[in-house]
Amino acid sequence: MFAVLKRRCARATVAGFVLAAGVLGAGVASAQAQDTYRIYVANEYGADISVIDTATDKLVGTIQISGRPGVVRPRGMSVSPDGTIIYVAVSDFHPEFETPEDKIIAIDVRTSQVIREYRAGGNPERLALNPTGTQIWASLEARAQGAGYDIGTGENFVSFRTGIEAEGVAVSPDGKWVYLTAEATHTVTIYDIENKKIIKHLLVGNRPRVVVFSLDGSKAYVSAEIGGTISVIDTKTQLVSGTINLGLDSRPVELIVDPSGKRLYVAGGGTNSIYVIDTDTNKVSTTIKENMGRRPWGVTMTPDGKKIYTANGLSDSVSVIDTQCMCVVNTIQAGRGAHSVQIGVIPHG
Amino acid sequence: MNKLLQCLSAVAVVAGVGFLAVPAGAQAQFDHPIHVGVILPPEKGTPDAVLGDAVAHSAKQGVVQANEELGITAEMLGIDFSVVSATAEGADVVAAAERLVTQEGAYAIVGGFSLTESAALSAWAKAKGIPYMNVGSSADSLRNALCGTTTFHLQPSAAMYLDAMVGWYVRSNFRKWYFIQEDTPESKAQYDRVKWSMANRHFGAREAGRTVLKPGASGGAALVAAIKKSGADVVVMLVSAKDQLRTMSELDAAGISLNVTGFPYPEAQTRVFFAAAAKAAPTLGAAYRATAWEPSLDAYGAREYNARFLVRWDEPMGESAWSVFTGIKILYEAAFFSESDKPAKVMGYMTNPASIFDLYKGLGSSFRPWDRQMRQSLFLDKINPKAATLMEYGNLVGELPAIYLPGTELVERLDQLGDLAAQTKCKK
Repeated sequence: MFAVLKRRCARATVAGFVLAAGVLGAGVASAQAQDTYRIYVANEYGADISVIDTATDKLVGTIQISGRPGVVRPRGMSVSPDGTIIYVAVSDFHPEFETPEDKIIAIDVRTSQVIREYRAGGNPERLALNPTGTQIWASLEARAQGAGYDIGTGENFVSFRTGIEAEGVAVSPDGKWVYLTAEATHTVTIYDIENKKIIKHLLVGNRPRVVVFSLDGSKAYVSAEIGGTISVIDTKTQLVSGTINLGLDSRPVELIVDPSGKRLYVAGGGTNSIYVIDTDTNKVSTTIKENMGRRPWGVTMTPDGKKIYTANGLSDSVSVIDTQCMCVVNTIQAGRGAHSVQIGVIPHG
Repeated sequence: MNKLLQCLSAVAVVAGVGFLAVPAGAQAQFDHPIHVGVILPPEKGTPDAVLGDAVAHSAKQGVVQANEELGITAEMLGIDFSVVSATAEGADVVAAAERLVTQEGAYAIVGGFSLTESAALSAWAKAKGIPYMNVGSSADSLRNALCGTTTFHLQPSAAMYLDAMVGWYVRSNFRKWYFIQEDTPESKAQYDRVKWSMANRHFGAREAGRTVLKPGASGGAALVAAIKKSGADVVVMLVSAKDQLRTMSELDAAGISLNVTGFPYPEAQTRVFFAAAAKAAPTLGAAYRATAWEPSLDAYGAREYNARFLVRWDEPMGESAWSVFTGIKILYEAAFFSESDKPAKVMGYMTNPASIFDLYKGLGSSFRPWDRQMRQSLFLDKINPKAATLMEYGNLVGELPAIYLPGTELVERLDQLGDLAAQTKCKK
């Protein structure tokens, strides 16, 4: 997703340059508006999605997922490769029951309207799209399964076994693998998409939550909430090649690799922090704490890598971090129980 | 059959994957089945044994739950794991443990639902060099004078419960405490420890009075008069669960309207006890109770864990089910993370300060090196006399220590409950 958004960002920068030049010249680029980016925050207790404009860092809308806050529960999100559609995993607070609320919804970033729903029984928690945007993969927490859905038809074309309390899911940049964490089992299940088979279940840190790939796909990073660690998986050998210790109380959840691939940003829910990890050394280079909201679990960033947004579940807010100063520069009110955060694009918006 | 298991069976067909096959590259390699042994208390089925039976029933559920969930997990990793169990009580627990180890191949033992049983198992385990997980006795003597070098305590210590209770009540402005103590060494130790906590950890409270009773004896009118005269604002019963119920009933009938609570023995943490308290003492029964587990806990992984249990059993997860399941889970994880079921390796993993265990309480927990007591948070329930279901008899109203306290150190936070290294009399 970042690669596409990076291209968009580069184009926006060029467009901006042409526009500026055009003021002095013929104005040929006046119709070439820059892309606009929107931050989406899934509020698990509010049953809604907060929408924030990155240009102003203002809340510009709220998308109601359900009229039953506290019952219906939006959590993990993913974005289409072109950035224009946000997918949200929706479930409820009763994993013991399978309800019609268990589904994936698609939101058009241009209109902030829900444009499609996909049935996904078993408490879907987190999502990932394949690089071509034709498949969506979900962790089904209550069923201990991973599941793949055809975006075009909505068909659940495969389900596979994971450990207990499936959560984090990521598709490798080459589209070959699905990595899926299981909280209670301390595992990452590696699924071969083409050959439709489980390759292995890999032990990682204690209570693994979220998994992301490095930009080149050579590594996967897995946050372990109870262990307070990041497991680094070598995707060639499919073994854990290193463990980054953030401290027992760090409670890391979402993480994101920056556009340069040099930094990994980790949301530390237990310490109200963002840990910045140097991906060359696997060491924490900076810890951002001051003025952070409470219990950040979600983290995303703008395609140019200049701003980070965190979803803070206990303060119902989003912290905006400037990556130049590595400091919080803004706090935006979100909905109740901000859980996850994603960024979408309105092309030339 | 567990619905999760049904689901997993179904998905194997859907995915067309042979999940019974050993996954490539499983981390821990065992060339033999590995077993944890559990000694369960018997269910007696007599009217007099209702509270004990509630514990036994719950503990048995914990064994089944562990066999099913951990069996799935182990199978994924290519490990043949199962729980073997025996039912025994009193001195017979030692023979049962011996049999589970020598005949069933258990590499560790879980059990001990009284001081007597736990002390016997601890001594036996020490002699045999077998890891023993105490899941039912909170007696501080087990962590001190009687401490066994191969014994690990998942059950919170009396010191932990009492520190939590003093903390909650003092902060709620209950400052004059009346104690009802049993004439036993265990109860006397509880009394001494709670006084220590009032003097050293939570200032501002004092003892308003104390009555010492023989086990099973009633305090009668004398106790009622003494409590009324004392000016106490809280009564703490350091007596058995059964005696707590009778005493509450007597005080209630005598018109005492103070806050009355009691020591949280496993029997006194059951929803059956909560229901009995509400029935025996319509006024005093709506009491605050300390617990090690709360089946309505709706945070961390506890929401899913409690939900799976509720689906499996159509009953809330009792403290004994939680402690048995979690005790087995700790021993199982110690084996697969240390890649061995050899006692020395398993115990080495558990005593390593870097080894962290997930108790479904939202914190990475570890054993204290000085007495091998599991650090953990505790809960405060309020009994709901208007409950329509077992689950509704307890309302979660407190948790100590607080989970989210950025800027403080987790281990220090957890060590606010219980004895510190300087206090221990455990000789390693």
